[in-house]
Amino acid sequence: MSDFELCEPGSLEEALALLDPQDPSVRVVGGGTALVLMMKQRVFHPTRLVSLRRLAGQLRGIMRGERGLQVGAMTTLRELEQSALVARTAPVLSRALPRLANVRVRNQATLGGHLAHGDPHMDLPPILLAMGARVQATSPRGSRWVPLEELYLGYYETSLARDEVVTWVEIPELPADTRGAYVKFCYLSAEDWPAVGVAVFFRLEGGQFSQVRLAVGACTERPVRISRAETLLNGERPSPAVLEAAAQAAAGEVQPVSDLLGSAEYKREMVRVHVREALEQALVGGGR
Amino acid sequence: MATLTQVGQQVGQVGRSVPRLESRAKVSGSAEYVYHVAVPGMLHGKIVRSSVAHGRIRRLDTSGARAQPGVYAVITGQDVLRVMPDPHYGPAFHDQPVLALDKVRFVGDPVAVVLAEDPHVAEEAAALVEVEYEELPAVFDELEAARPGAPLVHEVIRPATTFADLKHLAGRSGTNVAMEYHLRRGDVEEAFARADYVFEDVFRTQQTAHLPLEPFVCLAHPEGPDRLVIYTATQSPSFVRSEVARLLGWPENRVRVRTAFLGGGFGAKLYIKLEALAAACCLLAGRPVKITLSMEEQFLTITRHPTTFRIRSGVTRDGRIVARACEVWWNGGAYADISPRVTQKSGFTASGPYDIENVRIDSYVVYTNRPPTGALRGFGIPQLVWAYESHTDIIAHRLGMDPVEFRRINLLSNGQPHATGTPLTDTATREVLEALAKAMEWDKPLERGSGRYRRGRGIAIGLKACVAPTTSCATVVLYGDGSVAVLAGTVDMGQGSDTALAQIAAETLGLQAEQVRVVHPDTDVTPYDMATLGSRSLFHMGNAVKQAAEQVRDQLLAIAARALEADAEQLVVRDGAVWAPGGQSLSFKELMVHRFGMQAGTLVGTGTYLPPYAKPDPETGQSEEITPFWMVGGCGAEVEVDTYTGRVRVLRLVNAADVGRAINPAIVRTQLNGASLMQLGMTLMEEMVLEQGQVVNASLAAYKIPGFGDVPPVVEAVLVEMPHRHGPFGAKGVGETGTFAVSAAVANAIYDAVGVRIRELPITPERLLAALRRSGGAGSQEGEEG
Repeated sequence: MSDFELCEPGSLEEALALLDPQDPSVRVVGGGTALVLMMKQRVFHPTRLVSLRRLAGQLRGIMRGERGLQVGAMTTLRELEQSALVARTAPVLSRALPRLANVRVRNQATLGGHLAHGDPHMDLPPILLAMGARVQATSPRGSRWVPLEELYLGYYETSLARDEVVTWVEIPELPADTRGAYVKFCYLSAEDWPAVGVAVFFRLEGGQFSQVRLAVGACTERPVRISRAETLLNGERPSPAVLEAAAQAAAGEVQPVSDLLGSAEYKREMVRVHVREALEQALVGGGR
Repeated sequence: MATLTQVGQQVGQVGRSVPRLESRAKVSGSAEYVYHVAVPGMLHGKIVRSSVAHGRIRRLDTSGARAQPGVYAVITGQDVLRVMPDPHYGPAFHDQPVLALDKVRFVGDPVAVVLAEDPHVAEEAAALVEVEYEELPAVFDELEAARPGAPLVHEVIRPATTFADLKHLAGRSGTNVAMEYHLRRGDVEEAFARADYVFEDVFRTQQTAHLPLEPFVCLAHPEGPDRLVIYTATQSPSFVRSEVARLLGWPENRVRVRTAFLGGGFGAKLYIKLEALAAACCLLAGRPVKITLSMEEQFLTITRHPTTFRIRSGVTRDGRIVARACEVWWNGGAYADISPRVTQKSGFTASGPYDIENVRIDSYVVYTNRPPTGALRGFGIPQLVWAYESHTDIIAHRLGMDPVEFRRINLLSNGQPHATGTPLTDTATREVLEALAKAMEWDKPLERGSGRYRRGRGIAIGLKACVAPTTSCATVVLYGDGSVAVLAGTVDMGQGSDTALAQIAAETLGLQAEQVRVVHPDTDVTPYDMATLGSRSLFHMGNAVKQAAEQVRDQLLAIAARALEADAEQLVVRDGAVWAPGGQSLSFKELMVHRFGMQAGTLVGTGTYLPPYAKPDPETGQSEEITPFWMVGGCGAEVEVDTYTGRVRVLRLVNAADVGRAINPAIVRTQLNGASLMQLGMTLMEEMVLEQGQVVNASLAAYKIPGFGDVPPVVEAVLVEMPHRHGPFGAKGVGETGTFAVSAAVANAIYDAVGVRIRELPITPERLLAALRRSGGAGSQEGEEG
């Protein structure tokens, strides 16, 4: 690891001024759990790291707003996990967190970093994508809201500019009768990144699926909504045949990546198995 | 007045679960590790490694690295020649250059070292060393490498001169087969012809890594112009001293090797690793040099052999195995390390713990362009047991016999001769099998399930011969105040040897184990020990310590006999004092004052243990005395197979072992269970994945070892105590026993659950699911895939 400059600005304006729209070796760092690993593995050589540590007072916290939860980008994953508000309004998120990495990482990692990193193997992006979450990206040019669907462009690739910082995350509060589940499939060790992550939310109106939101992550280059399966389910009554059809549609729609956690073919099959499992779990009683 | 004890009567230190003596130091962060050692003027070395699997070095340009501010020097193989005229090292063969001289033989082979005061500067500069290679064809598979015409990894075989039985290999060329071992007993072909059935299977294992949490670390430090001190996280300080002295052409007393606690070893820190490199760098630079490997570099230093094992058995209709032919191919990687020893000393057990009249074993180690392979907790035995115990289950099922019953029919009994001709002296083969069957409640039915999740159970049992011949020496000293220290070359790498050796000394001297100080290896202080390996330390060093403590005790008794005017034979040691039959006693301190006139002096006892050994016949592999003791390890597994994903959950793991006599039962249990979990990782998840020779998952993020979430809900150890006549207080080594049978037990349980036979490790979900699909789904008893 070679020398680099570590800046710890006290204001967001200062932080933004320290970023460079052209230079990829200047990066924002939140908890550092991902970036420092990349530095140790010598795949990332920073010249300047702009730490948001001292901005935690401004960019940290979980509040209930009009459109749902407003979460500061510097909020740690552990704080999300332990939040009674999150447990009440987004229980799928609460249930997913204890199996995300380990408590040491969750104490350090921030939600903003987790989302901005663009690593496809993360647990929360498919959940938040399915929920319709968006991030506030702030640059010297001002702030804009980016839906998660538009945030992820590809493998470790986001639509954030180099001088843009995720400052807030908005997680919509789904209607109270929404059912949901996140299913994480670990390939080898039970303590690993997911090989496949499936998030599903829906309502049952008159016994029929409605407002189905289905997202798959980890096995693809970026988390993706599975519109074919959503369309197929909406308006249908739950039955083994309907669930299986949706699971197969999802498996057919995703483009899994072959890697050490399984071949593309195997992961496609795992998408089928776990989409079905997620739907079943949500039907059995998983709250939103 | 307390009641008297007889000399030799146990005062309760043996068999007592003494909490580890070092626990507090470790938990409070004050325990000594080599990583923490720093000396003034110290440079850090960063290794530049080969980027090709096989090639000749055409150009090596260090100028860019040397020009970096903060870089002190860049050392190459040519530089090493200035201090080591023949810089090839290794425990069995002298085939590994300290730094590459002309050729590189695997991706990761050390080519140069950058020295700098700042380790980060060294690391950055290492990337600036330019090496041009003429790439040569590479070979990675052990069977392909053994074929005529395969690319040659080494042009000539270079056995170490220290091993008489390897001399005939000297100068052998034109082959990658580095060493072979053969065992012949009876007439195998005739017996196959006679057998009612003949079964043949091929099993394979993958390359895996040791991954102690403390990677290898070493500091070489000059002491004047003609002495070298080496602090190293080694399991074999005596060997490091001999080998470094040999390479330098120095007498051994000019090289001092010190260790501390090790953060795990598992065989990764055996013999000599980078100590010669640190020594050469230190002498060339004239400054202390520390080399600290990263977790990632551990995958490039030493690993476990991939193997291919072809096994063939002739069986009678009533379930007797009458013939067995074993052909084992060990993938040795780029350098021999200890592979030739694994080939022979584990190879000879390839036919298993069975009473088979006709046996043929052919065991070969083959050079390839993979990272080198060597000893990893079990010394080759887990690969062998995986094959022969899977095969044994296949036979039992084909014969329609219960797997436990089939083993009962064929298992060797205590005292019977093994295939090598060496009797199973004080060896609890049958007792371990029965203890396992009982713990597994084998006679009770198991609910196997019928839906997505299927359950099954399996057992396996393996046999290992403790490596021979090896020597341990120990010194026990009693200081002027009566306190005691044990000076032993055994390295405590987490297995609890400090505690066990203290218990043995304390038992002998009438003390509490907590009162005994165990001095860590320092070759200027502690006497010779072959190494901490192969479950040998408790048996060998335990005997040496016991002898040394007995000598001290006898000196105390002689002093007391004079002081108390009593007959030494009637005196006993207890509670730090010598007691006469009449109840008078003198503390050890009082005895020292009596002997030296004041609190002064030292009593010294020495012990040496070298068990009897008979070399196997080179043609037949037969020997009357091939091992000082046999180790028996059995494993029972209950598994749940997810037939949708192919994922296996182990619900219960039972580890039964012949421990001789448990000196410290709590440590014995954790050794057995810990070993089983390590092997469970190598059964279900671990595999070094190579692309063009490069390990692509060389990190703990990508190469998964078991976490707490992978530990089965029930893991239990069953201790079978059959005391060994030569063991200290009857004890046998157990550090590896828990690894032997895990893989086969799990595979057998999977077969029991879903009727699918896997013949290649690791049993990954994708591999198992594919096999399930090919077999026509769960529940089919016909599926045979792998």
